[in-house]
Amino acid sequence: MKIKSIHILLAIIIIIGGGILLASELDLYNTTRVKSPRKTAEGIYDVIDMRGSHTLEEIEKYYQLSASSVIEAFGLRPETNPNLFQLKDMKEIFTPVELEEGEYIVETDTVKVFTSLYLKIPYVSDETFYLPEKTVNYLIENDKLTGEEKEYWQGHTFKLEYLDSKYLTASEFSKIVVEEAEGLIVTGRTTIQELLDYGITEEKFEEVTGFKIPDKKLVSFRDFIIDKGLEFGEVKDKFAE
Amino acid sequence: MIKNQKKDLIRLAVQICFFALIILVSLNQWRSEQGLTPLLIGSPSLHAVCPFGGVVTIYTYFTEGAFIQKIHQSSFTLMWLIFSLTLLLGPVFCGWVCPFGTVEEFIGKIGRKIFKKRYNNFIPSVIDKPLRYLRYIILMLVVVNTAISGKLLFSNFDPYFALFKIWSSEVTRLSLLVLGLTLIGSLFVERPWCKYLCPYGALLGIFNFFRIVKLKRNEKTCINCKKCDRVCPMNIDISTSKTVTDHQCISCLLCTDEIACPVSNSLSFSLLERKNPTENSETDSGAKIKESISGGGK
Repeated sequence: MKIKSIHILLAIIIIIGGGILLASELDLYNTTRVKSPRKTAEGIYDVIDMRGSHTLEEIEKYYQLSASSVIEAFGLRPETNPNLFQLKDMKEIFTPVELEEGEYIVETDTVKVFTSLYLKIPYVSDETFYLPEKTVNYLIENDKLTGEEKEYWQGHTFKLEYLDSKYLTASEFSKIVVEEAEGLIVTGRTTIQELLDYGITEEKFEEVTGFKIPDKKLVSFRDFIIDKGLEFGEVKDKFAE
Repeated sequence: MIKNQKKDLIRLAVQICFFALIILVSLNQWRSEQGLTPLLIGSPSLHAVCPFGGVVTIYTYFTEGAFIQKIHQSSFTLMWLIFSLTLLLGPVFCGWVCPFGTVEEFIGKIGRKIFKKRYNNFIPSVIDKPLRYLRYIILMLVVVNTAISGKLLFSNFDPYFALFKIWSSEVTRLSLLVLGLTLIGSLFVERPWCKYLCPYGALLGIFNFFRIVKLKRNEKTCINCKKCDRVCPMNIDISTSKTVTDHQCISCLLCTDEIACPVSNSLSFSLLERKNPTENSETDSGAKIKESISGGGK
């Protein structure tokens, strides 16, 4: 049998298209990840699998490292929302530093090293050889470093600087999800609770969305809107009006 | 029977569809990050729709039951679907689906206009042949290092990711450099990334040795015009093979009698061994054609 272009087209439609449909039905085609990190042979969550998309709350849940420890050790704003702040957000807060090996960005791997030292979970980083001075001091104050570790890390520190000098002092900060520039700006990560905290009343919420405020207020407003079959882009701007 | 060369419009349409799909995925990622509603298909990441993600996580999946960072179940499922398609028809994914290959091919059309016959023939065979195996070394390095590190290292130099997520801070300078060199290289060589560097193309290329539908040349009717050699984007010597099993074939069908080959039933993809009762008469017609057409060199 001679195979022509039309047969290949059909094969692509049937195998790829049909395969995806079938896999979706069998729940084998998820385009989002399970957020739990993988475990080590000892049954604890592996630090190596800590991800930039993990929030401080998830770090607390999986690694038993309190969000307040990370906030304090890295000099984040005390009111940082652990439920929303992702590790990768750090790169939008801290200035990259020039080290011997080149430019270093305080981000997920920095937290991995911190977690490893704080919780005594083995982790060898291939990119973090220096830590922020503030973080090392926090580890020493909490008696988390052995003599050898203390000696090494005290000699391998750098000063943390904020990209926005007003980060710690501004009454609101854009990286804490809800922006306040020319009114309320609702982003994809804004929760319903944050809308209420901002001053959106139940009446206003119902007027804009056509739905009552749900019991679970920590869900993202976008997910809520999409679930209700509404256009997030259209609805979100109505709050600013 | 001699016929004029046809255009491969069906393949072009498929390529444009998949290219548009990836552009939509990329656009939706951007919209999602801006707090805007994704259009039509939600906002899966580029990694989620790349079957190579399934390959690099295969070790971690079978040893630890988990996917590596940034890789999703969809990549793993796509990997098996593409393996099935490739087992049947060869690396159709490379020639028809891969949007990065499509971009290379489109740029190649400009190169072909500029350099005409010299296009895709710049690299001497002595250098070209061994370089074709470089992609297997890259495949091994990527798979082994990903298994060891548990990280998606390939994205650090992946030009596909760099091209379709160029606006993102996740794109490394190295991948932008690889992307730039590949796009420039495409002006001189057809599909340079696919030929020399693509680890996924390397893996799918292995299927050419045992694929079910094979590219077969009928030696008795072939008029040795070498048109198949000239149109092959991967520079395979088709005119000297009875069955093409070259690891670089991308199943584009350009060489076949559906498109380039001027003699019907001389070069085609066949599911079963050809038992043509009219072979003798075709031999005659082939002989007649041979008399009327002078074979061209590559």
